[in-house]
Amino acid sequence: MTEVLARLDGIVRHFGHVKALDGATLEIHAGEVHGILGENGAGKTTLLNILGGIIRPDVGSLEMGGTPVRLQSARAAWEMGVGLVHQHFTLVPGLSVLENLALGRRHEGRRWTLRLEEIRQEAYRLGRLTGLNVPFEASIEELGVGDRQRIEILKALLRDPQLLVLDEPTAVLAPAEIEQLFGLLRTLANEGRAVVLVAHKLDEILSIADRVTVLRDGRTVMTAALADLDAAVLTEAMVGPSSREEEEPEARVREVSSLFGQGTERLARDRALAARVVASLNGISVYGPRGELVLQDVQLEVMSGEVIGVAGVEGNGQRDLALLLSGRRDVYVGNLEIPDDVGFIPQDRNLEGLAADFDLTENVALAVHRDPEFRWGPLLRWDVIKERAKEIRSRFKVRSSDTRVLARELSGGNQQRLVVGRELSRLPRLLIAENPTRGLDLTATAFVRGELKRLAREAAAGVVLISTDLDEVLELADRIFVILRGRLTLVPSVRHSRAGVGAMMLGGGPEVG
Amino acid sequence: MRRFGQLGVAVVALLATGIIAAGSLWLGGYDPLVAGRAMLQGSFGSGTAILSVTMVRAVPLIVTGLAVALAFRAGVWNIGAEGQLYAGAIAAAWVGLSWGSAPRWVLTPAVLLAAFLGGALWAAIPALMKVRLGIGEVIPTILMNFVGIYLAAFMVHGPLQEARGVFPQTDPITDAARLPVLVEGTRLHLGFPIALLIGAMLWAGLRWTHFGFQVRSVGASPEAARVSGMIESKRVLLVAFLTSGAIAGLAGGIEITGVTFALYEGLSPGWGYTAIAVALLAGLHPAWVIFTGLLLGGLEAGAGAMQREAGVPAAWVSAVEALVILFVLAGDQIRRRFHA
Repeated sequence: MTEVLARLDGIVRHFGHVKALDGATLEIHAGEVHGILGENGAGKTTLLNILGGIIRPDVGSLEMGGTPVRLQSARAAWEMGVGLVHQHFTLVPGLSVLENLALGRRHEGRRWTLRLEEIRQEAYRLGRLTGLNVPFEASIEELGVGDRQRIEILKALLRDPQLLVLDEPTAVLAPAEIEQLFGLLRTLANEGRAVVLVAHKLDEILSIADRVTVLRDGRTVMTAALADLDAAVLTEAMVGPSSREEEEPEARVREVSSLFGQGTERLARDRALAARVVASLNGISVYGPRGELVLQDVQLEVMSGEVIGVAGVEGNGQRDLALLLSGRRDVYVGNLEIPDDVGFIPQDRNLEGLAADFDLTENVALAVHRDPEFRWGPLLRWDVIKERAKEIRSRFKVRSSDTRVLARELSGGNQQRLVVGRELSRLPRLLIAENPTRGLDLTATAFVRGELKRLAREAAAGVVLISTDLDEVLELADRIFVILRGRLTLVPSVRHSRAGVGAMMLGGGPEVG
Repeated sequence: MRRFGQLGVAVVALLATGIIAAGSLWLGGYDPLVAGRAMLQGSFGSGTAILSVTMVRAVPLIVTGLAVALAFRAGVWNIGAEGQLYAGAIAAAWVGLSWGSAPRWVLTPAVLLAAFLGGALWAAIPALMKVRLGIGEVIPTILMNFVGIYLAAFMVHGPLQEARGVFPQTDPITDAARLPVLVEGTRLHLGFPIALLIGAMLWAGLRWTHFGFQVRSVGASPEAARVSGMIESKRVLLVAFLTSGAIAGLAGGIEITGVTFALYEGLSPGWGYTAIAVALLAGLHPAWVIFTGLLLGGLEAGAGAMQREAGVPAAWVSAVEALVILFVLAGDQIRRRFHA
């Protein structure tokens, strides 16, 4: 008989008018890796936050080791042995890695003194044990997301949790890093701890989890040992039998065509006649805040109708390339030519893509309020903007009661759908997409990828896909570049494979076998 | 729904303020009921009290409240409405005195325009420091208040002092520079409809215009506004900041041309600060500023009556205004937490 470490039962939780959880159930056994699957807005993050004591359920019971508990705060949850690694980073910029690790730790009997040295030794020992190597003295803002992710995990492990909870930890990691992380999670489970993991990629869950729980619309629809399941069963459980038909690719395509529909052909023809080259970068260099070269002698021509993929490990100059191409960075050396209508799907939707306190319509206005069709002299045509917002909401399935819902009331995946929908619906001549499917579920990912491709093919736009997801780049791109330490290198088409591009991302040259 | 939430915060904040205010009176040995009745009598108790006292008191509060609301909506923490009001008042008095012989239809607009520009000029210093050098506006605007207040004091002791050189004030401005009285036999002047007009313009501007939306965007999320690529954030900030200062300056000009007809030392009892309470209580919404301005105008109007009849020091009202700010800020955060 396996020991039940934690049990959540009949959990209901509202956010304003949105019912995030509606009777969810979760049972976690000691010694297992437990995967949680579900579409965007299914309630995964909310459930994890309840387990981590960050939010409290409206209704429902929580048991830890067989006794009912009420987790009133994150601190109460750690004390019960739950370590939560958040989807969004919670590290404090300006503090060193070590200081971040020390945050919130208190040693027995010494309430008032900070013993950094002890924490360093402990963290160092743990880092050696787990293979989580982090530079303790570095300041947080100097580090890439991969390092930050490792620090978050180390921070949770330092509290010696019995139950480690990770919300989409693989989203920002390179394939080799994911493998390493999974090895670590397996070790932890073998020690008798439990690991709860949310990941959007089904194959990742399939490769590591012992058991899975599938959430749909805030309810638990299935909990089972993975050995008894296959991908098809899981997908059906996530999407649901009824909505599945509706999500058939053909149906989806027909549904969306109104966004791309009228005038697209003409637009495509005009654009094809106007210019084959949509954007060109000639000998572009960009310097960072400390005078270092973040982009070095970049050569790139984006043609109309093509998807360019830029692969690379996070932090190799992608951010600057994206800002440059989208016209958001105006200090550079070299020759830059971009059109004046550039769509931009930025990396950080919370901060850069959306204004949290604006509703759906206002967030759409943020990107379109300059377009003549939404203006009447100095006035904004809110009725037309609202129509556009409604269209985006239904076509891109932004789960919300109406267009007056605030952006911060949406789940992470729904926020991303809103940003993607807004930018695609403008039919820009050039679209820059930074990790556009990060945080999206399978259906939405396939949908967004399809739309990016269609924008290039049918609206004759140039699309630059900057992604740390190698599979995404390989699937979509006509031409692939690798970005490494600010240099952009074309990948010869014979090397368009996981292994080929992956090696170049880590510094192997194109000529190496 | 959101509107309702905001209204709920305002109502709860006012109730909580009322309870604490009454409690403090009781602890101080005053009878809260007598004091309250005196306050109501003095502010809303009669036609004269409403038209000649409350509404007249409300004008500078509404106008500076609108100035603060505009700035806050743009994410600019302009705490300098007081100094901008003085700058406007100085400019108004100066133009009113030096162009005294001009006809009314030239002089009145010129005086108000001078006040408008004076306020904008005063705001321009912290605004440029913010936009050009990245210096936070809170401390510069507060410091510019002192400069404005003492500049006015210097003016009425020096260059603009009245002809006899006895009192710290200017000569009265000519009749042609004075705003007409609206209701015969009261002190209600044209400044009140001007305040309503500014409120309506701001409301419509923020709600319906292209530029107003940009102002709200920059305030709601500077990052998203910048990354949208559609908004020149610095220009929007600068314009909103200067307009806020200009409106606060206009409040000074209206006071000079509508009520005092001369520049005094200590012209404002802190309207530029009370304006923060007016704006926050209104949820930074221009239409609501009219009501909260009248409410706090009534409070200040009633304070005089309360001092006469119940012996409560009028300064007590300043503490009440501060309580309103604290409760609104706390209430806003609590409401957010329930919704987040």
